[in-house]
Amino acid sequence: MEFLSSIVVSGLMNGSIYGLVAIGFVLIYKSSKVLNFSQGYMLLFGAYIFWFFKGYLGLNLFFSFMLAIPTAYIMGVLIERFTLRPLIGQPLLSMITVTIFLSLVLEGLISIIWGTYPLEQITLFPRHSLRVGKIVLTTENLYAFGLALGPMLALILFFRFTQLGLAMRGVAEGHQVMQSMGISVKRILTICWGISGIFAALGGILLGSTLGFQLSLSHIGLLAIPAAFIGGLESPGGAILGGLLIGLSESIVSGYLGQAAGVPASYMILIVVMIFRPYGFFGLEEIERV
Amino acid sequence: MAYTSYYPPSGIYSDSYKKDMRIIKTKTQWVLSVVFLVFLFAAPHIPFLNSTYVLRLLIGVGITTIICLGLNILTGYCGQLNIGQSAFVMVGAFTSGLISIHLGWSFWVSVIPAGLAAAMVGIFFGIPSVRLRGLYLALTTLGAQVILTWIALFGLPITSAGFNIEPIEVGNFVFNTPEKFYYIAMSFTVVMTFFAKNMMRTGLGRAFIAIRDNDKAAEAMGINIFRYKLLAFAICTFYAGVAGALLVHFMMWAQLESFTLQDSIWYVVMIIVGGLGSIEGTIFGVLLITILKELIFVIGPIAEKTLTFFPIGAGSGLLLFIIGAVAIVFLIFEPRGLAHRWGIIKAYYRLWPFGY
Repeated sequence: MEFLSSIVVSGLMNGSIYGLVAIGFVLIYKSSKVLNFSQGYMLLFGAYIFWFFKGYLGLNLFFSFMLAIPTAYIMGVLIERFTLRPLIGQPLLSMITVTIFLSLVLEGLISIIWGTYPLEQITLFPRHSLRVGKIVLTTENLYAFGLALGPMLALILFFRFTQLGLAMRGVAEGHQVMQSMGISVKRILTICWGISGIFAALGGILLGSTLGFQLSLSHIGLLAIPAAFIGGLESPGGAILGGLLIGLSESIVSGYLGQAAGVPASYMILIVVMIFRPYGFFGLEEIERV
Repeated sequence: MAYTSYYPPSGIYSDSYKKDMRIIKTKTQWVLSVVFLVFLFAAPHIPFLNSTYVLRLLIGVGITTIICLGLNILTGYCGQLNIGQSAFVMVGAFTSGLISIHLGWSFWVSVIPAGLAAAMVGIFFGIPSVRLRGLYLALTTLGAQVILTWIALFGLPITSAGFNIEPIEVGNFVFNTPEKFYYIAMSFTVVMTFFAKNMMRTGLGRAFIAIRDNDKAAEAMGINIFRYKLLAFAICTFYAGVAGALLVHFMMWAQLESFTLQDSIWYVVMIIVGGLGSIEGTIFGVLLITILKELIFVIGPIAEKTLTFFPIGAGSGLLLFIIGAVAIVFLIFEPRGLAHRWGIIKAYYRLWPFGY
């Protein structure tokens, strides 16, 4: 029982990070119908930028965090400006392929600058353990959980209550309508990529502090993809839910059946969900005319 | 591709449907095709091409072409994205390998069951395609990749460790070197290419294209969507299975590491760079990407040694960066693939000097 509860807790913690990365997928998909395969490497890049400020320049934790986030935003904006924008109006598959190549470019860039060996560890949060009933919680996990859920809730509120958020929801509905309403779709797309970069970096920093800053962090993209799809590709709230579900199932399955079974189990769940709810839990069902 | 069908070669009058559908329309095309085939099969005896290295590369191109042809039929013609193709190659490879080890059947007998086994698995993972479209379907094929790899890794002890396979024999002749295996690989490639090209101009191919362009309209025209989508999956994965059987008999060693998600993604990239819905484009794409990938393996270690001021591993990183950047620039200027440009060039030279 204690084993199960500790697995559940750690699964939820990991799941919140998957949700964070999945929101990056959702943001970009919602605004431009592109599935961003380079999300995993954007995450890696964000994490390494943070490491650069903290581990290499030796700034303090807060400052390096505050510097890494805008840099990640700029990274997202630059990616959109130079690779995706020239392809507006071209077949969707070409745009998706560009994101695949983008992941090569980012991986190459990272290994040119920082090499392929893992970098030295940075601890973000003090390590204590709390005991709630029979469940043992580490403060590290709690902080990570909060840092992951906070921005996600902020994003949902942002969508709901601000002008820009309204414009972004409009762009998700249809590009031409929004353009004729006087809203620059290109600008909105750029902002979406920027925010997606921020979320990727956040996920990268949180993961890097627990798993170590190394190239294999990018594999988290493989787990965040089913999270985004289970929740429904159009829904940020769904991404959080999907992330938690995937985190939970991954940690339970890998706890009982061995480490390697986690990812296949997530995909099994994905396929089952897809059969019964083809657009995820909160995705938009496409209604089309012949 | 539209360009060439608008402008057929000069002096060719398609006065019957049959004539309009010919693959080879002019005498020049006949001559060129025969010359190309002779050149292809004489390659092991031509200077500069007859090194083991080049032949190995060409065999790789041939086998990858078969894999990508299947993928292009499914993705390019029928519009169903598949990012788990290398898992189906793996199914074919292990089936063929296990048959030849346990039952002692020769390659020629095991290649068909290999294709069929892959097709069965492919149909199973194709079933969600009835309700799923586009990226959502792509995800279930990605799931196929992850799940099949996991089954091979933990389900059977023999597939996780890898095993040796006897080379192909015909009588007393053993196809154990690239020079000899080249003929088998190229024969398969040519036959499968021709088969694909033919299949796509029959009613089957037209049904696939109708489903890709608008599945609701296709259904209204009397095309059984479920049946044809599953058929597309079966054909795609059958190609993958046959290629897998060839691959293990070429390497004489079946192992899990040859069939990764990366490979699957590269196959998709190849057909997109080459041109979706085009048989010629598939071959162009495979050639271009194979050359680019080979550059990493050849130049990477050299760059690693000479550029000592970079951190460890930067050599391969530099090449990844260059290849990614080149490919992105290529896609920005050529988003419809090489086949589109090929069609424009052909139209240009057919209309010359009155190309307006």
